[in-house]
Amino acid sequence: MFKPQIRILTAALALAVLPLMAAAQGAAPIRIGVPVGLSGANSVVAPSVVQSAELAIEEINAAGGVLGRKLVLEVADDASGAVGAQKAFDSLVFQKKVDVLISMETSAARNAGLPIVARGKVPYIYTSFYEGRSCSPWMYVNAWVPEQQVPPVVDYFMKTKNAKTIFLVGSDYSFGRGMLEFTKKYAEGKGAKIVGEEYLPMDGSDWTAVISKIRAAKPDALITSTAGGAPNVTLTKQLRAAGINIPYGNLAVDEGTAKGMGADAQGIYISASYVTGIDSPANKKFLEALTKKFGADLKTPNDLSVPEYEAVYAYKAAVEKAKSTDSDKVLKALGEVSVDGPRGRISMNQQHHAPLTMYLAQVQADGGVKVIDSFKDVAVGAQCPNLK
Amino acid sequence: MNLLLDILTTAAILYIVSAGLLLIFGVMKIINFAHGAFLTVGAYASLVAARIGLSPLLGLAFALLVGALIGMLIERVVVRPLYARPLDAILATWGLAIVIGQVVTLVFGREVQMLPSPVNGTFAWPGGEYSAYRLLLVGAAALLGTALALLLTRTRIGLVTRAVIMNEQLARGLGIHAGMVRFCTFAAGAGIGSLAGALITPLSSIDPNMGVPWLVNAFMLVMVSGVSMVSLLVATLVFGAAQVLLSTYVSPVLGGLAIAVLAAVTLRIRPKGFSRD
Repeated sequence: MFKPQIRILTAALALAVLPLMAAAQGAAPIRIGVPVGLSGANSVVAPSVVQSAELAIEEINAAGGVLGRKLVLEVADDASGAVGAQKAFDSLVFQKKVDVLISMETSAARNAGLPIVARGKVPYIYTSFYEGRSCSPWMYVNAWVPEQQVPPVVDYFMKTKNAKTIFLVGSDYSFGRGMLEFTKKYAEGKGAKIVGEEYLPMDGSDWTAVISKIRAAKPDALITSTAGGAPNVTLTKQLRAAGINIPYGNLAVDEGTAKGMGADAQGIYISASYVTGIDSPANKKFLEALTKKFGADLKTPNDLSVPEYEAVYAYKAAVEKAKSTDSDKVLKALGEVSVDGPRGRISMNQQHHAPLTMYLAQVQADGGVKVIDSFKDVAVGAQCPNLK
Repeated sequence: MNLLLDILTTAAILYIVSAGLLLIFGVMKIINFAHGAFLTVGAYASLVAARIGLSPLLGLAFALLVGALIGMLIERVVVRPLYARPLDAILATWGLAIVIGQVVTLVFGREVQMLPSPVNGTFAWPGGEYSAYRLLLVGAAALLGTALALLLTRTRIGLVTRAVIMNEQLARGLGIHAGMVRFCTFAAGAGIGSLAGALITPLSSIDPNMGVPWLVNAFMLVMVSGVSMVSLLVATLVFGAAQVLLSTYVSPVLGGLAIAVLAAVTLRIRPKGFSRD
């Protein structure tokens, strides 16, 4: 006789307790969308970006989440291009209903995604270095623009290497042309003479004529900005095969690629906001945590993946400052907070862009990268004068 | 001097890259769109050879062998049923190129692979210097051309092959096994394509799509050369010169288009292109 009653009681009790338990677990998780080029041109670097995001989210969740809420990662492939980006942004913003988008992407993908971000009213932190001057009230950028990356190389060549004439070589696309256009303006402003400027289509692999022109022009220094990957490798190989040994600054090679190129890359100067050799406790801690989490599967962290890690922390700081995930409040806070990460203290407080400490480094015989000089908190220049 | 060497070495590279395609087109009258993929296979073969410790020369032989073996397999499975349908053969080999590219991606990954160059630096003489490896390629092209010429004109195999090229019906009538000739030709063409891939790696990157840009130029050169190795030589020299001159004096972007545009114009004016018959 008693048993059914007890059962009913238990059931009633359980029903009463359930909502309480849900409340104890915290509100719904905060969703972080990462549209990234898992296929296509960016597929070489995309895995390292995803690893960075995974590490940041794991660390934050282990420390109690943000405002008591857990972070959840939603990754979507944008195929490194505009069409893929439209699909990826659309599904993340309107189906997965993410609270923020944080990612490294090609300029084409970013431009295709921005209208969707504006329509969905979602904050977007862009973590890829790029040619500059992309402005949207919804977007913040924590990676470098030409104004920050080019001057260290040009200044070093002119001051230390006494270069008076410079030759420019690039791939024929927006990043290649944009970088060299700025380089030309900057170098000429400093009194150097640009003795040649040559471009090859993005899939071009025969640099014969360009190299002959370099030989004929006899410049003191060479600065290149090709598409990453193959064009970078073919140009460097053919330069070396032609015996050209003038100071060679490469605006488009990352540490990992330089390592892979081996002896051919030796002596190349690179300029970056992150190199693995940054000697700081924060960077050591970051590298240790990455190694511990991913072990043998670890993709070498780089100038495209580290900003992703820091951007997740920037979002955390902004939400905590705003005390809400409300887009308007978070967007306002994103420009005010600062993050101490592997690259040092970074705040996206200049026209939605971030002043960065830049490192000038040279590739060594063993493929390692040696920091030659650093330039603290280089300003972003005029990127988006209409945004505060 | 440098300009002349640029032209000569560019022509040599074009010749090396196109020879395998021409051989297959000459005998079988089909365009092998998988030729670019064979270049890629050759480059990766030389990479594997270097990793297991073979010398660069053995690496070339290894690339030739791997290419020829894959060529044999493909001839049996894909190309043989399509001899009477040249258009379908183009589609099939194109698809094949995609398959090979994806297999290479699956095995080696999408990223650019690195292989140190066997010959570094320049060859210097009084008053100038030039990339040593590019000069070596001129020698390689001359060797390849001579070997092919000797094979086709001085041996029994060559005689039989030429008989098939000239009149396959008649050759069959004389008891020549045309199927066997086709089989060997395809394997040889694939092997030479693969060898070419290995030869260009010190100047090129090794990635799953590396063969594609070369395929277009090789295709155009073969179109204007018809079936003759000699006219291919003339075509590579003329078009190579045009490409280098345009790139040097006008713009490298236009230079990259030179071969394709000139080939179209040549075929419009003279449908036979550079071939004599």
